[in-house]
Parts: sequence; C-alpha cells; structure tokens
Amino acid sequence: MADSDGKIDRRTFVGNIVRAGGAIGIGGAAVALAAAKGRLGDAVWQIDPDKCIACGNCATYCVLDPSAVECVHNFAMCGYCDLCTGYFEPEPNALNSGAENQLCPTGAIKRKFIEDPYFEYTIDKSLCIGCGKCVKGCSAFGNGSLFLQVDHDRCAGCNECSIAVACSSRAFTRVAAGDPYLLKGREGNG
Amino acid sequence: MNQQSQSTFPKFGLLIGLVVMLAAVAGVIVVLQTNPFGEQGSGLPESFDYDLAKYRKIDPALIGYQQTGEIALAMKEPRAVAVGPEDRIYVAGDRAICIFAPDETKLSRIALDDQPQCLAVGRDGGVYIGMKDHVEVYDPSGTRIADWQSLGDRAVLTSIAPAEQHVFVADAGNRIVWRYDTNGERLGRIGERNEKKGVLGFVIPSPYFDVAMAPDGLLRVVNPGAHRIRAYTVEGEEETPLEWGERSIGIEGFCGCCNPAAIAILPDGRFVTGEKGIPRVKVYGALGNFECVVAGPETFAPMPTSTEETRVPHKLKVIDLAADSEGRIFVLDPDARRICILEPKKEDSK
Repeated sequence: MADSDGKIDRRTFVGNIVRAGGAIGIGGAAVALAAAKGRLGDAVWQIDPDKCIACGNCATYCVLDPSAVECVHNFAMCGYCDLCTGYFEPEPNALNSGAENQLCPTGAIKRKFIEDPYFEYTIDKSLCIGCGKCVKGCSAFGNGSLFLQVDHDRCAGCNECSIAVACSSRAFTRVAAGDPYLLKGREGNG
Repeated sequence: MNQQSQSTFPKFGLLIGLVVMLAAVAGVIVVLQTNPFGEQGSGLPESFDYDLAKYRKIDPALIGYQQTGEIALAMKEPRAVAVGPEDRIYVAGDRAICIFAPDETKLSRIALDDQPQCLAVGRDGGVYIGMKDHVEVYDPSGTRIADWQSLGDRAVLTSIAPAEQHVFVADAGNRIVWRYDTNGERLGRIGERNEKKGVLGFVIPSPYFDVAMAPDGLLRVVNPGAHRIRAYTVEGEEETPLEWGERSIGIEGFCGCCNPAAIAILPDGRFVTGEKGIPRVKVYGALGNFECVVAGPETFAPMPTSTEETRVPHKLKVIDLAADSEGRIFVLDPDARRICILEPKKEDSK
C-alpha cells in the first residue's frame, strides 16, 4: 500500500511483481497455445519410422480389427531385390511366391517381376494387419524401405490412441492432420 | 466425544489404506498395459515372430581365427580400413586418415576437407581416398597431389583398388567400376548393364560395393545382389569361369538381400569376406570354396537386439576388411570404433 509519500511498502511491491508475473505467464501460455494450434491445426497420431521397432503391438492394440496401422513401401528406397528379406523367409526353399517361402503370415505382399533380375513388392492393404514382420526382415538386411504407418483412411482418430499407450519405443507422435504421414526418404508410396 | 473420535479414526485409516491399495493395483495395471518391455505384450502367435538368433550362432569348430590385437579409434564415424607398404594400417573416418604401424602404434594423421567414404593404398605409398563423387590422391607424406574429376551427382564411391598401371573405383550409384590410369584419366567402365549383349550389370541394392586386386593380377568385384564375386582383367574383360559365390543364410553362403558387403584378399589369393545383416567374416579359397569363419556376430559390438535392429536401418554401419602381407586380417568394427586384428589359430590353441 502507498504511504503518504506515495511510496509503496515491500509487501505491496512483491504482490505487484507476483501478479505481473502471473499475467505475463498466462498471456505467454495463451500465445504459445494459439501459435501451436495455428501451426498444427488438428493433430492426428502417426508412427515415426525411425523410432519404430516393429514389435507387433500395432496389430493387436488398436481398437479396430484389423488395425489402422499397416505397412507402406517407399519404392525410392527399395533395392527391388530378387531375394527380398521383407518378402521371403530367412531360408526360403526357392525364390518364388509359394506360400511356404513368404515371410508375411497374411500374404499381404505381392511380388511382381520387372526386369531381370529385379522384382517389385507392393502391399495389399486389405490383407495387411500391421504386424511389422516384413519391416523387421527388410531392415535386418536391406534398406528399410518397408515401414509401418497409421492409415488415416481407417484410423478412428481416438484422442488417446491405445497403440500409442502400448508403444514401447514411443514411436507414436502427433502430426498435423493436413500432413499426416511420416515417410522415409523424400518420396513414399503406399 | 473423545470416545467417538477414537472409534472413527481406525475406520478413516482403513479407508486411506484401501485407497492406497487400489491406487497401487491401478498403477500395476497401467504399467502392464503400457507394455514397457517391448514385444512381451503383442499377443501375436509364433508365426508372426522374426527370429534370426539361430543363424547368429556359429559352430565354434568352424572358427579358424583368433583375435591377437586391437586398435581403438579416436573417430566418431570410421568408414574404411586398408593396408599399405610395410604393412601400415590406414583408417578413414570423420575428416581424416589415421595411419598405424603394424604393432598398432599411431604414426600420423592426414586431415581431409570432407568425409571419406573409402580408401586404398598403392604399392608406392600413394593414398587414394574416395569421397562421395571423386577420388583424392595423397603422397606418402600426407600431401594432397591430385583431385580427380567429379563423377557426377549420381556417383556413390564405395571402394578403390590400385593396380600397377590402373586404379579401379567402385561406384554404387552408377552400378559400375570406373577404370582409371594412375594419373586420374578415365579409361573406361566395367560391368555396365547392356541388355543387347545380355549383360545384366551389377545388382547393388545398398551402397556396399567392393573391389580388390588379387595376386593373380585380376580385379575382383563383388556383385552383392547376386551374392557373387566376379573376376575381370585390368582391361575390363570378364573372366567368367572364375566367378563364384552362393546365396544362403547358411555359413557357406552369403546371407540377406546383398552380400558380401566387403572383401579383402590374402597374400596367397584366398578371399576374406564380410557380411552385413548377420555380421560375419569368413575365409574362402582362391576358387571360392568355404574354408573357415574368422569372426562371427558375437565379435562385433553392439550385439543387435530385437529393439535395435529395425531402428534407422539405413544408417546402420557395416564392417570393412583388409589383410596384410603376413596374412593378418583387419576388421573395422564401426559401432565399437575399433580395428580387430585376427590371425589363424595355432594348432595347440584349437
């Protein structure tokens, strides 16, 4: 409180400082939130492929069945290998599309001859359950062109994603809904 | 009044205890639900497992070498190893070449302007360093004497093999081997795809494409996507009968999509091969017959685990190899930032 000389006592001075600090803090937080909202817009869940360890949780923890997570293929990174370790079992009987040679338990990867000795591998979305087995095979020996992503045509958009809660490598992250995929390399094709 | 508060207090304490217990149970449930231990909780059947553990195990009876030395490298990113005159050991990494004596003592260091990708040392002590798109040449004292013309944006140089009058440079980006004279003049291309002539070219899915000169005077070139090693004359003619290599995850073959990632040639013409994916170093005879294992996955650090193997795979580091005139094998272990020196096991230590 100001005395007759117009001076303020210590308690009033400290109180004013605290009130001013609080006002600045609240104002700053509001500005930061507004800026974040402006930058991100609506956010959705996505998998950071550089953090994903393809543990298999995506296939079983999603509220949807089959999961909204599925494998995608970056053709720009792919070696188009005859012996694709994301497609074939570690010890295939032969390099052909026989079911016994395929790594994918649901047969979701299609192998197509391009030119000698190159083959193209594409994902059949209707069969992929997002288990990540092919991701492990590709990454163990190859370039890592197969990786997992949340398919936003299927994702229910839960506020608390049950896979994100179960994700042991913290690979799930919020991204802008307008740019919802985290693809490897410069290009990506689903 | 006093009696009433005494009888209320135990009930209140019991209530607090119950709340604490419920909170603890809820905490355990949350911890279990968040699955902090990775794959424990996916609930997928066994057919969804991807397990290479059995292939990583090497039969000890097949291991014919033992480690007899080690050079710790003060480099963040060692990339390549080579052996030069007097069995000096050259290591490329970061923005430098480090030179060591055969007894592992450090001799000197050559500073570079950029990150080296590969290197080789000629018989005259000239050091050929592959940058991403061009070769730089240094004299034995470490002075830069030549800077060869760039091979363009598409070039990814991965290996160099100097011969008497030629220098061969492997280019994974263009999928060919460049043939130079020792002055850096480009003389030709080796192994280029030519469908009219039925030449498929080299299959190089990832940037591991090695070349080496053999004592028989022929250039050896790895065709990693075919799991084969080809032979060429210094003029670039393929010696088809000398091609060898087998695709197999078994120990006799080369595993994965594209291997071997590195080769070296022993003084008697036998081959040393290094694989990625399942890191293993092996020796093959001059005609490609499997002889023994030099080092298996357990030698290299860190041992890949289920949580590491898929993370940033395109940034994984891969071993490199060299051999000296005594038949010692030098293995660059980039993760451990060291050179392992291995020699054949003596009879009494087998």
